[in-house]
Amino acid sequence: MIHFVERKQLYFILSGLLIVPGLVFLLLGGLKPGIEFKGGTLLDARFDTPPTVSAVQDVMGALGHGEAKITVAEGGRIEIRTFEMKPEEIVKTTTTLQEKLGGAKIDPSTVSPSFSGELIQNSIRSIALASILIVLLIAFAFRSFGWGAFRYGIAAIIALLHDAAFVLGFFAILGYFFSVEIDSLFVTAVLTIIGFSVHDTIVVFDRIRENLRLNPGEALNPVINFSIMQTLTRSIITSLTVVFTLLALFLFGGFSVRNFALALLVGIISGTYSSIFNASQIVSLWQEIEDRVRHRATATA
Amino acid sequence: MGRLGPWLIAIIAIVAIFVDIPKHQFSFPFNCPGICLRIGDFAVNQEIKTHLGLDLQGGTQLILRMQMDKLPAGVTTPQSELQTQAIRVIERRINSLGVSEPVIQGLGDDKILLELPGVDDLQQANELATRQAFLEIKVPDKDKPGSFKSLEPPLTGANLKPTFVTFQNGTRPVVNFDFGSPDDQRWIQLSKDFFQQPVQISLDGKEISAPTINAIFTTGSGIIEGNFTAASARELSLLLNSGALPVPLEVIQSSRVEPTLGRDSVNRSLLAGAIGLMLVAFFMVAYYRLPGVVAVLALLYYTALTYAIFRLVPVTLTLAGVAGFILSIGMAVDANVLTFERLKEELRSGKSLRAAVEEGRRRAFPSILYSNLATILTAGILYMFGTGTVKGFALTLAIGVAISFFTAVVVTQMLLHAAIEVSSLRQRRLYGVEERANEGREGRGGATAAATPT
Repeated sequence: MIHFVERKQLYFILSGLLIVPGLVFLLLGGLKPGIEFKGGTLLDARFDTPPTVSAVQDVMGALGHGEAKITVAEGGRIEIRTFEMKPEEIVKTTTTLQEKLGGAKIDPSTVSPSFSGELIQNSIRSIALASILIVLLIAFAFRSFGWGAFRYGIAAIIALLHDAAFVLGFFAILGYFFSVEIDSLFVTAVLTIIGFSVHDTIVVFDRIRENLRLNPGEALNPVINFSIMQTLTRSIITSLTVVFTLLALFLFGGFSVRNFALALLVGIISGTYSSIFNASQIVSLWQEIEDRVRHRATATA
Repeated sequence: MGRLGPWLIAIIAIVAIFVDIPKHQFSFPFNCPGICLRIGDFAVNQEIKTHLGLDLQGGTQLILRMQMDKLPAGVTTPQSELQTQAIRVIERRINSLGVSEPVIQGLGDDKILLELPGVDDLQQANELATRQAFLEIKVPDKDKPGSFKSLEPPLTGANLKPTFVTFQNGTRPVVNFDFGSPDDQRWIQLSKDFFQQPVQISLDGKEISAPTINAIFTTGSGIIEGNFTAASARELSLLLNSGALPVPLEVIQSSRVEPTLGRDSVNRSLLAGAIGLMLVAFFMVAYYRLPGVVAVLALLYYTALTYAIFRLVPVTLTLAGVAGFILSIGMAVDANVLTFERLKEELRSGKSLRAAVEEGRRRAFPSILYSNLATILTAGILYMFGTGTVKGFALTLAIGVAISFFTAVVVTQMLLHAAIEVSSLRQRRLYGVEERANEGREGRGGATAAATPT
């Protein structure tokens, strides 16, 4: 028997230890927005024989793009980031690069800064909307508890915020040290993690509900503990299967989906942890605080 | 589920596999690439194929914004109407280019998404999408000698007949136009009013030529001469024929992907998917034994059916979409895991196989339902707010989860029920549970009561 509920403080502290470093780097501006969220032009170039960064810098400078940031990426690719270029300018730049530095395949992409603001807004709006709808869905699923249903909804939200914070922090650290950028695929990953985290949490909560119904007189904490025990195998196995597929995607899926797969991988592991060690414990804590308040109220009366 | 159930499921499987097979290997006895049906007036002729997004097959994508602030004063056409008109104009321009399967659609109320598979000339795509092709004839301004002004109302190419290119003296390309009714009458009138004076032919506000009128016209036709090459004359003719954009457009996002890179991504994703599927299958059989085999069969059923739906709908597969599909394989297993864990519990509590299978299904159902709803909810939101890539991911994820719900609740159950009817498959060992004799050895503390239904 594992004491999931009794030792909840321990698990809360562990979560804190995992999340706080990421949040520090988040505040340090570690999360690097890609061109989608910042606006600008990205030239993704594959040269037959990769030139030096300074050679590329010179060509870009001669074209009037001294601000160009040049990075060597996986697979011998060179990424050139500049302010927004108009299509004519992109064509001119790519042909010049090809002439001066030898035949290259260059994939340009451009996002106007006026549009990137809209993309950020959409991302925030969708995460907010998803959270609200999920509270309502859980409240509906646990409606037999009356108003108590909302505490399950809120506990699930805290668990999903835990996972979102962990992934954001993780990528803030990656951004800070390896200048990994985030794009709309990253937002997609965060939303998917949210969905998965809730998915996991619901399974545990559903078990708690069933066990509470079957054992009307039982105290909440033992029921929660037992429910977690019962769903433990399922939680771990489901996560393992998803982790297998994501790992395959991460290792073999090619560089364009690698960060996406990594975000999902980290988030889903965090989601499994939070559904086992956080979500139900929050419900338990809530109940304990409520009991204490009520106890004090009856004591003073 | 009655007796028809298994047959229905088998038929769905056969249809799905048929749809999944690449057409060139399965043309007999159908002499068309896909579904061709004709019953009276009712005809279906849909090509079945996997639609790959730009990032997988290469091409150019543009997102355009309507510049409402640059609209000429006095235009009162509603924005939605302008968007529809602009889309129609771009559609006509692209159709005359012969790009296969272009995507042109409105995005929000002021944007247009344009995808041109196989087109890797960014410049050409840009001109096609943003050149307004607004033809106007301007006349000399008496107040300011040497400059031109618009007529009142402006004489434009709004009613132009199809233009064409000819060569003057056999070498100089010119574009022939005809104003069409009723503008041709104004054109004739103009030649009388401004006889032996220059008039300006302007395109998108820029002068192309300013010929002097040296005859009174009798028809609405004329020529545009500029420093054209044969190609640029043809392009102008094409733009004029497709009509002018009702509103200036600007490119706010553009991207181009090399076809070879796309192919590489497809191959890698397929490999990743296959490896992921194999790992999951191996794990399920090792851990759950017979139910694991059932789960793998259900998983294959799921993969075949989902892929068939992608081909039929059709869903355009992007890189993110493929990732969504691979992710949904992992999630599809979950419903099976939930059911099997329940099954084990029921078996351990001493139920017969048949009762345990039934009870496992009933008890796992709410968890499966609500957890899938949560995923579909997020996918729906992603679809609503997302653009391009994100939409593709959301759609494949949502379809994947919906189908996995069906396979887990219906197909897995049917296979399990079928398996327990076979006497040699009825050993409890095959379900990962000790034989009955060993039962009760497992102490589970005071809360065991919770597992036994009251």
